[in-house]
Amino acid sequence: MSLRRRERLTGWVFALPSLITLGAVIAVPLGFSLSVSFFAYTFINPSFSVFLGFENYMNAFSDPYFWNSLWVTLKFVVLVVSIEFTLGFIVALMLNRDIRFKGVYYTILTMPMVMSPVAVGLIWKMLLHPDLGVLNYFLGLIGIEPINWLGDPTMAFWSVLMVDVWQQISFMILLLLAGLVSLPKEPFEAATIDGASEFQKLFYITIPLMKPVILAAVVIRTIFAFRTYDLIYVLTRGGPGVSTDVLSYFIYRKTFMGLNLAEAAATSYVLLGVVLLLVVFMFKIITSERKVVG
Amino acid sequence: MRYLVLAILILSTALYAGVTLHVLMEDVPETHIIKELLPDFEKKTGIKVEFEIVQYCDMHAKLVPQLMSPNCQYDLLEVDNYWAGEFPAAGWLEPLEKYVERDKFDISVYLPSMLKMVGYYNGRLYMIPMYNYAMGLIYRTDLMNDPDLRAKWKELYGYDMRIPTSVEEYVKLAEFMQKYASEKYGQKIYGSAMQAQRGDPIVMEWSNYLFSLGGDYYDEKWRARVNDEAGVKSAELYIRALKNAAPPGALSFNLDDAFRVMSQGKAFSMITYNWMLAQLNDPSKSKVAGKVGLAPMPGGIGLNGGWGWAIPKNSQHKEEAWEFIKWVESFEIAKKRALMGGAPTRFDIFTDEDVVKKYPWYPKVMWLVMYAKPVPEFQYSTQMIEVVGRELSLAATGKKSVKKALDDAAKELNKLAKMAGLQK
Repeated sequence: MSLRRRERLTGWVFALPSLITLGAVIAVPLGFSLSVSFFAYTFINPSFSVFLGFENYMNAFSDPYFWNSLWVTLKFVVLVVSIEFTLGFIVALMLNRDIRFKGVYYTILTMPMVMSPVAVGLIWKMLLHPDLGVLNYFLGLIGIEPINWLGDPTMAFWSVLMVDVWQQISFMILLLLAGLVSLPKEPFEAATIDGASEFQKLFYITIPLMKPVILAAVVIRTIFAFRTYDLIYVLTRGGPGVSTDVLSYFIYRKTFMGLNLAEAAATSYVLLGVVLLLVVFMFKIITSERKVVG
Repeated sequence: MRYLVLAILILSTALYAGVTLHVLMEDVPETHIIKELLPDFEKKTGIKVEFEIVQYCDMHAKLVPQLMSPNCQYDLLEVDNYWAGEFPAAGWLEPLEKYVERDKFDISVYLPSMLKMVGYYNGRLYMIPMYNYAMGLIYRTDLMNDPDLRAKWKELYGYDMRIPTSVEEYVKLAEFMQKYASEKYGQKIYGSAMQAQRGDPIVMEWSNYLFSLGGDYYDEKWRARVNDEAGVKSAELYIRALKNAAPPGALSFNLDDAFRVMSQGKAFSMITYNWMLAQLNDPSKSKVAGKVGLAPMPGGIGLNGGWGWAIPKNSQHKEEAWEFIKWVESFEIAKKRALMGGAPTRFDIFTDEDVVKKYPWYPKVMWLVMYAKPVPEFQYSTQMIEVVGRELSLAATGKKSVKKALDDAAKELNKLAKMAGLQK
């Protein structure tokens, strides 16, 4: 056996345990749910006896509430990720200088992130209570009429959005900050000597150099945002009406209330497709811009 | 004889020793009451019992995978009446007749409405009624007896103010209170602390309006009838109450949110579970303690709800589970539970002297439970509630007309009944 082959073999041996684990916990369930999505498989009758082909997918597409949920989800994800990114980047830039009490800020920032979304939802539900909540109380002090945070279909969407931003923005900040800290110092020093302004440095050095980190942060957040479910569950249950009915909660209901695992699996695959498309699209945009700048 | 009993006792202790029953329980007062009594059972039988206490919303999703697996992690179940059709239909529950007959367990003491709801399914006994949560009207007695308000009511409507006898009268009274009680006391007092969050809260509350107006979800041939005259009228009245007599955020309220409004003295009434009366009369939890009373749902028929004990077919310890049911539902323990604030399901407990002495309104609750009606029980009850909740919420936000929303709901309800093989 040549050295190369032996090395390769050793590599496989080392990789094997994790490959087996990954296969068991990711590939197998994915394969199972894909096959389920083509059969009449329900919790009442869990069997692969009736093959339906694409009927489960067709059922999902012909359901107007599916399209509503897809629309709500896309709106939610795009807004949440862009707001969190913009605010997060600004905060990260502010923290990336010589200021005092950095440790204190970091601690405060990580706190919402380590809380469970259900706890966050319950706390906010009380803060947002139209009559007894603190938020409306303070608004009342400055003469603003009480706001119906979760009971109004339009407002409910924005309230959920606000709570999500409150909780998840720290993730964005920390990731972006880690990127900023690890940037090389030399280009900035050179730019300062050449007399570049702060804004020029930001747009011509910081952002281009940060591209890989930004890409990672935005992609990860996007994927997570698609999975938002606990907050919706606690705050609105998708209501009032269908105004906050995101797709992940829609799928949950199909599974555990409708007991229709097959249709839920089909809908999940549609969601997976949408996420995949969006992520590929993001990679395209960010990597292509990089060529222009570089 | 004594020795025989002792021998049996020791033998049974030896037989069951080391067995631990795992039970998934909802985080409600009844669970904590039973938990306090558990040492008695452990001492008597040597069987250990472990409660895993979670919120209602997590239960169904935790139970279903376990019930489908070859070995259920839970040896004993508490089954909500929402699932009382689904679980037996899926074949997940052990029929209990043979245990009942063998041990001469007396089921004639249970209220028929409870046995029907969380006892029998399709003529077979799968559950033993555990506790009830029939709904009724809880109202503020101080506002009801306020002379100024009474005079104003008489002036407006020409008759004495009374506990409403119909849904219309209730909505009218709630509107009246929101206007005039708020005026008189100089702070907002809502007519009805409503729970109109999409999903089961809105459906549970609306069901009281629907049943009391003579409506129902299905007719006797399992054809949907939510969109008939009674259905439309009840939804219209419900939405009218939401608009004119409920807190502004009611569309996102569940039981807890509504309770907070009521317990802070910011509402006149609440259509809710009868045992909420004890909570609202508890000074440590409520500012209106001593000022609330209970009446049947105006119109007469409230929503019945309840839980039953059941044994999963794939349980590892069926005999031990049955031992537990026998113990927890024995007269002695059932009475203790009631005295500690539980919600009984047996005639003899409701009318027990000590119980009535402590809770004088319990006989009234018994009538309420006897007349109350549950949501239809079949495989797709939870899905039915989901559909109706969504459509009602859409109608309440004005995104759909009442008729259109109920028509859409009826369409899906018919589909569910067909899927379940109930509608030919």
